[in-house]
Amino acid sequence: MLSINKASERDHLVIALNGEVDASNSVELDEVIQQAISENVAKILVDGRELEYISSAGLGVFMSYLEDFHEKEVAFVIFGLNEKILNVFHILGLDQLISIKNTREEAEKALYEA
Amino acid sequence: MIKPPNIQRGKIYILLSILSWFALLFVDLVRIFGEINQMEGVINREITWILEIIFFILLYLFFNDSINKKENSNFLNLIWRAASTGLIATGTSFLIIYFYQILQDTRLSDDPLLRNFFYHVNFALTAIFLISTALLWKHLILYQKNKAVVQQWQAYEVILLISMFFVLINQESFNYGFMFGLIFLIIYGIILSVNLKWIPYLTFREKWKSILFLAIIVSCTIYLLVQLVSYTQKNVHFVNLSENLFLLGLFAFVLIYAVFSFLVTLFNLPTSSVFEQKLTEAISFQKLSQSIQPGENEDQVLDILMDSCMSAAYVDAAWLELHADEEDRRTGTVLYQKFISNAERQEIMGLLKKTEPFSGYLKSQTDARIEYLYGKIAHEIYQSVLIIPVRANKKILGDMFLLKEVKDGFNKEMINIISTFVGQTSISIENYRLLNQAIKNERYREELEIAQRVQRSLLPSALHHNKCFEIDGFSAAADEVGGDYYETFRFDKDNFALIIGDVSGKGTSAAFNMSQMKGVFHSLVQLNFSPKVFLSKANSALSRCLEKNNFITTTYYTVNTKEKVIHFARAGHCPTLYFDWKMGDSRFLDIKGMGLGIVRNDTFDQYLEEGTLVYHTGDVLVMYTDGIVEAKNAKGEEFGYENLRMLLGNFHELPAREIRLKIIEEVYSFVGKETLPDDDYSLLVIKFKA
Repeated sequence: MLSINKASERDHLVIALNGEVDASNSVELDEVIQQAISENVAKILVDGRELEYISSAGLGVFMSYLEDFHEKEVAFVIFGLNEKILNVFHILGLDQLISIKNTREEAEKALYEA
Repeated sequence: MIKPPNIQRGKIYILLSILSWFALLFVDLVRIFGEINQMEGVINREITWILEIIFFILLYLFFNDSINKKENSNFLNLIWRAASTGLIATGTSFLIIYFYQILQDTRLSDDPLLRNFFYHVNFALTAIFLISTALLWKHLILYQKNKAVVQQWQAYEVILLISMFFVLINQESFNYGFMFGLIFLIIYGIILSVNLKWIPYLTFREKWKSILFLAIIVSCTIYLLVQLVSYTQKNVHFVNLSENLFLLGLFAFVLIYAVFSFLVTLFNLPTSSVFEQKLTEAISFQKLSQSIQPGENEDQVLDILMDSCMSAAYVDAAWLELHADEEDRRTGTVLYQKFISNAERQEIMGLLKKTEPFSGYLKSQTDARIEYLYGKIAHEIYQSVLIIPVRANKKILGDMFLLKEVKDGFNKEMINIISTFVGQTSISIENYRLLNQAIKNERYREELEIAQRVQRSLLPSALHHNKCFEIDGFSAAADEVGGDYYETFRFDKDNFALIIGDVSGKGTSAAFNMSQMKGVFHSLVQLNFSPKVFLSKANSALSRCLEKNNFITTTYYTVNTKEKVIHFARAGHCPTLYFDWKMGDSRFLDIKGMGLGIVRNDTFDQYLEEGTLVYHTGDVLVMYTDGIVEAKNAKGEEFGYENLRMLLGNFHELPAREIRLKIIEEVYSFVGKETLPDDDYSLLVIKFKA
């Protein structure tokens, strides 16, 4: 089960993920990010505090937009991941490509400094 | 016990009964001749009675036989048979009377022998009529029989048999004993005569015919009775054959049953249409419930539905409108239109959209849980309307519109039966669709089985190794096909390459990417690159063929058993578990890495690191995919890295194959039998021996 909440704050969009991202619902996540990019959102913050599990298909979604973020100079920060998910990002090497922060404050700071 | 064939038996009976009749005639004529000439005691009258009894029994056996043979003949035929026999008997009797009228003044007309001959002819025909009719009645009485009725009838047969012999015991006619017996037979006949279950099954026309036939039977019976009795009164020299309890009892039974049937059929006439209606409904229901054969059309069932509903509720006009459906090309079409023109239909549709309660439903066309809509409209021809949505798979397939010219034309019963028809239709259509789906799925399943076989063959059946190390692998896919991959390669007697990989996602798409990975491995491995270079090249190759959101994690190892050195690089794959025998502990070889296909440019190698390891005898290398560590039990807990590490600590002394078996066993027992694995599991264990 996955629920995604979007909220605009200041200049950035917060995407809050709640539940599990797997092959069956990774499309929903994809749609949300796709929409943000097409709307030319420059700063995206992913709230992963309520994220319980992410499968390789879910990681594939983040991965597939890395190039778009780079091209369009979108600042993309994830925060609040639990240890297990953080480890998943780390093993795959995604932590080398995506800015991952522990708290919201750190994340927002990173978002506006970049 | 060999039974003689039926036909022969029938012929024997008829021959014997004719013979017995001639014997009876001869005996009686001799008796009368003796009586006239005052010759006492030539032949005892008991002989007459015995011959009469034999005649009755033979007739009874004959007709019982012949009627049973025609078991399937319908009721009307049976009644007609009785009526025609009655007509023949009556006709013959009239002929005899006519014959006597011609002879009127001749001496022959007074001849008692001739008169007695004709009396015997009359008697024989009457007996034939009564016995055959009684047996036909038996057939009708035992229609839809139950045990009690059969027993009643059998008892009646026994009583009839006894009544034949009554004449031998009770020689005086019409005394109390005789009367008692007769009344008893009459009452029993009445009791039997309430079994009239065959009547409702006649159609309206058949009922009229049977009324006619029954009337013939009743009048023939009465006439023949009067006729026989009149002989008794008219003649002086006479052998009385009719004062027989059996014969009179049969008269009573045949007459009573005929009268009962006549009356009941007559009173059933007005309700017969209802019964016919119910029968049609049952047949319609049966037709609807017969599942449509695959390949046939659903339209056929809808057509039957329309016809059934129309006949069930005496509907004057109807149509069926199918709703728009993305999968179906017949969007919004009017499929069936019965007894109504296009213009009329559109006119009524317009009216309906303005009339409550229909307007709300017709405008919104939502999947409301409406079972039916019933009401009246202000139309010059049609006064009442019933709309019933036809559903299949919880979706509304279409609406059926039924129109009647009368006001309040649909009663509760009609709506009930129509609802039942519609329900049955839904079931039929759903079954039909399910069946088609099942056939399609079966085909997919077969395809998947082929894919599974092909993919199995992509995993190596034997793993390269030499005396210095043992190796054992395991792989299980969560779906039919999976995305896990491992392989070995031998450069020379001391040098080996090992790879383990996991394709993102699972199922068929993962399986395709896995086969790409295998191709990349076999192309690159021969070039004998260092692990880091190998992975860079692999990334470069895969970046060109993987879909945007797909990636592959892998770890590549080269092993030199001469120098006892392992080089390895990790491309985003789960860190290898390594048991160091000297330290007596195991650890994860966590070096920097990045999944293949994530960074699709030259910068990829900056995210990679290459590890080097010198191994010793007793060290164990465990390669696995994330399915193992992320395996969840029913509570949602993961198997975890620590669990795996502990297991290796416990089992490191076992041979590679045993370690592999133990770990897999532990994973499966952790997951439990109830939970299905939701990811692919792969495990490769290498144990260094020298």
